Amino acid sequence: MSTVAEAPAAVTPERAATRPPKDFDRPRFLRLFAWLFYLVMFAPIALVVLFSFNSTRSLQKFDGFSFRWYERFFESESLHSSLQASIEIALVTMVVATALGTLLAYGLVRARTRWSGAANILMLVPLVTPEIVAGVSALLLFTQIGLNLSLTTIMLGHITFSISYVTVVVRGRLASLGPEVENAALDLGATRWQTFRLVTLPELWPAVLAAGLLVFALSFDDFVMSFFTTGESPQPLPVRIWSAIRFGVTPTINAIGSFMLAISLVTVGLALLLPRLLGRKESAVGVLLGREGA
Amino acid sequence: MAGVSRRDLLRGGAGLALGAGGLAGCQLNSGVQADAGDTRKPFAKKIDGDLAYFNWAEFINPDLIKGFEKKYGVKVRESNFDSMPAMMSKLRAGIEYDLIFPTAEFAQRLIRGNQLRVIDRDKLRAAENVFSAFDQPWYDRNSAHTTPYTMYATGIGYRADKIDSMTGSWRDLVNPDADGRSFMLDDFQEGIGMANLVNGYELNSVDPEELDRSKDFLVDLKPDLRGFSSDTTTNMTSGNAWIQHLWNGDVVNIRNQVDNPEDFKFQKCDEGIPVGSDTLAIPVNAKHPGTALMFIDYVLEPENAAANVEWIGYPMPYRGGAEEAFAGLVKDDPTIAVTVNDLDNGQQFENLEGAGRKAWDRIWTQVKVA
Amino acid sequence: MSEQRFASRFLLPGAVWLLLFFLVPLGILLAISFGTTDDLGNSLYGWHPSNYADAFDPLFAPVLLRSVGYAFATVVLCLVIGYPIAYYIARFGGRRKNALIALVVLPFFVNYLVRTYAWVAILGDEGVFNGAANTNIRFLNTPYAVVGGLVYGYLAFMILPIYAALDRMDPALIEAGKDLYGSRWNTFRHVTFPHTFQGVLAGGVLVFLPAVGDFVSAQLLGGPDEYMVGNLIQQQFFAAENWPFGAALTTLMMGFLLIFMVMYLRSAAKASREATA
Repeated sequence: MSTVAEAPAAVTPERAATRPPKDFDRPRFLRLFAWLFYLVMFAPIALVVLFSFNSTRSLQKFDGFSFRWYERFFESESLHSSLQASIEIALVTMVVATALGTLLAYGLVRARTRWSGAANILMLVPLVTPEIVAGVSALLLFTQIGLNLSLTTIMLGHITFSISYVTVVVRGRLASLGPEVENAALDLGATRWQTFRLVTLPELWPAVLAAGLLVFALSFDDFVMSFFTTGESPQPLPVRIWSAIRFGVTPTINAIGSFMLAISLVTVGLALLLPRLLGRKESAVGVLLGREGA
Repeated sequence: MAGVSRRDLLRGGAGLALGAGGLAGCQLNSGVQADAGDTRKPFAKKIDGDLAYFNWAEFINPDLIKGFEKKYGVKVRESNFDSMPAMMSKLRAGIEYDLIFPTAEFAQRLIRGNQLRVIDRDKLRAAENVFSAFDQPWYDRNSAHTTPYTMYATGIGYRADKIDSMTGSWRDLVNPDADGRSFMLDDFQEGIGMANLVNGYELNSVDPEELDRSKDFLVDLKPDLRGFSSDTTTNMTSGNAWIQHLWNGDVVNIRNQVDNPEDFKFQKCDEGIPVGSDTLAIPVNAKHPGTALMFIDYVLEPENAAANVEWIGYPMPYRGGAEEAFAGLVKDDPTIAVTVNDLDNGQQFENLEGAGRKAWDRIWTQVKVA
Repeated sequence: MSEQRFASRFLLPGAVWLLLFFLVPLGILLAISFGTTDDLGNSLYGWHPSNYADAFDPLFAPVLLRSVGYAFATVVLCLVIGYPIAYYIARFGGRRKNALIALVVLPFFVNYLVRTYAWVAILGDEGVFNGAANTNIRFLNTPYAVVGGLVYGYLAFMILPIYAALDRMDPALIEAGKDLYGSRWNTFRHVTFPHTFQGVLAGGVLVFLPAVGDFVSAQLLGGPDEYMVGNLIQQQFFAAENWPFGAALTTLMMGFLLIFMVMYLRSAAKASREATA
């Protein structure tokens, strides 16, 4: 059955994508449903962005257009350092988690050892661990070994929950790349390490990139783990938002949220466009979803 | 993908158990170990570095921060907590803050644990403005470690335009005219304390029988409550709450955000008014206590205190400026004010310890899950 | 060097990291769960299995059941809403497929709290919806609001795996199915759904497990009767400053969730074995 499915797959996807659906398919209801879906999904987002430009403090009525809340945000040195901290943390997390996760993915797919099963579970458990558990246990670890809470501890926490995301994404891609090309390289005299560096890694590149950007976005928006592992100062932006939001949502908070959305938009946009710009034919989205399930 | 066998699970479980077993017998790092001597180490009142500032969010006029930074050429590194226990957990983790803002009962707890530095009050120029009621506060003998920051009272905020049948009692929390739009504070101290007051007990009672009856009172309240929420401002300004258990300063802030401020009123209840204060304090492991002390002095200055009052909406217990500023804020509804009289007559939350604390926690959990 | 040895070295860095920074902390959590607190609220190690006895208090049963119930309802709703969306994008998205999927994920990148508070503004008694539609519906502080918040928060995790499965599926199979089975429904039942089952399962797991432990939705959108196990645990760690008890509750909750996770892993492993057979 698998061969039947695979042979036509090489031939029809392009055609299927551009061929108009038959009458039988009748997507009218589906299309309406999809529109409704996007409307509901974006309603709160629209509200956040809209009211971040409100000239008054009100979150019920829009009284006019103004940048004042963004000004307040950009003028506040302390919110600045929080923003900077969030970016720093996200960048480091992205680099380290992507590296570790990619290596782990390679090991899980290519190696078949007694420990693979355990490694698989180990890798999946963080994905399904509630954040409050991950946060509290990370805090316990750091206080127990006497490590001072700081940006570093936040990074350690973020990297830990990010590795699994990278592994899942990269693994999907790796599994779909058969070992044929690698074997060919070996036959031609390359060492295993050369093969990995010059053959496998370039093929993995879109997945690695996509995973990296996903990790960046997740880390940048993370609140629960950050809350537990944050040190004296600066606290990452989402932690500040949580502390402030209890005393009323101010338009400044909406401005911060909108700004963070803009940054995330840029990273997602990069995830979509960069592989194409670099000459790859597949987009990262297709690669992000890989060949396997979660 | 390699299969998952029972063997792998056992291996994982064994690893986990080994890890846990290996650590048993060790002391969990319980914060900064300090003795009374450490708290009395003298320090000079001068700028000795940037200020590591740890406070509620939105609880100081940003102009004060900017002003201090400009005047003394230092940075104020602001961190926030959203509850006293959150503040405690950060302190316990050993983070070195220079200036913290504990409430009175938590200040008492910190002092007992030798966690706050002794402050030489003579060094504070503006300290004479502080109300004399705070010369010997119950939580800090001789005011040796703390300076009061704000005063507050707990009561009921309500929509006067929707409800005209307020009785002056705490039972108004579930006044039927509120149409079910009632919220209680999601705070075990405020909740149980209020129930104690309604039942005629002491605010801080730890008597098991009394606590049990207070628990029953709260559980009986639940069906008519819309929620437990400390998002007091959001609830009232959005119209989701017509009755909200809250602090007096919240009412000031709510009024600033709505088109019809005169419809938002504050009720101090007959059975008793919990009052309290926030304080400024310097932790024992502060790296820059000198800067912290200078910041305290800066806040105490009359113009600064007045500006602060107008921004945060809470009264600060200082003469000359702060007092008038708050009076101005509430002149059309003086019930919102908290005076020193209220402090003397009202009941203040105590720092509960040991069995009493555990009893309160247990009761609150039972109320929440009932 | 054999591929085995070469590749298994790659396992080391990631596995060691996770061991150190994930497994060991969980071990400490386990150890703390047997501890107690002193008078000042500091946590001490010890041997107090009473924490677990307390955790099995029948008072907590409704809370746990409720959490599982809400999480399950969330999964069902996410499936009912998410599958059609994934189907639409995969089959009818055409050239805009990637953009449409990105749009599904985008709201997810706005800060969770900010998004949830925006819903409070929209669904409030005097909020945008009631104002615009001139109605007086009380949405907030109800179980529906909590589940709604959970669905909104986790929908993307259901859509993505299903979309991935649908996208990989050869459309010719569906065509063949229609020829074979006649109606759309039967095609779906006998061809499409079975082919995407692993995706559905993955989505279900990715939604169910975090939803059980969620505390933000119940705290912001729920009333007193919507108290979830995540709130209970959060309360022990913060308000009550009772870390040992919180740790015990956490261990129990995780143990409970691990059962589901293992079930999922076995099913996925079996499917993967069958696919490569």
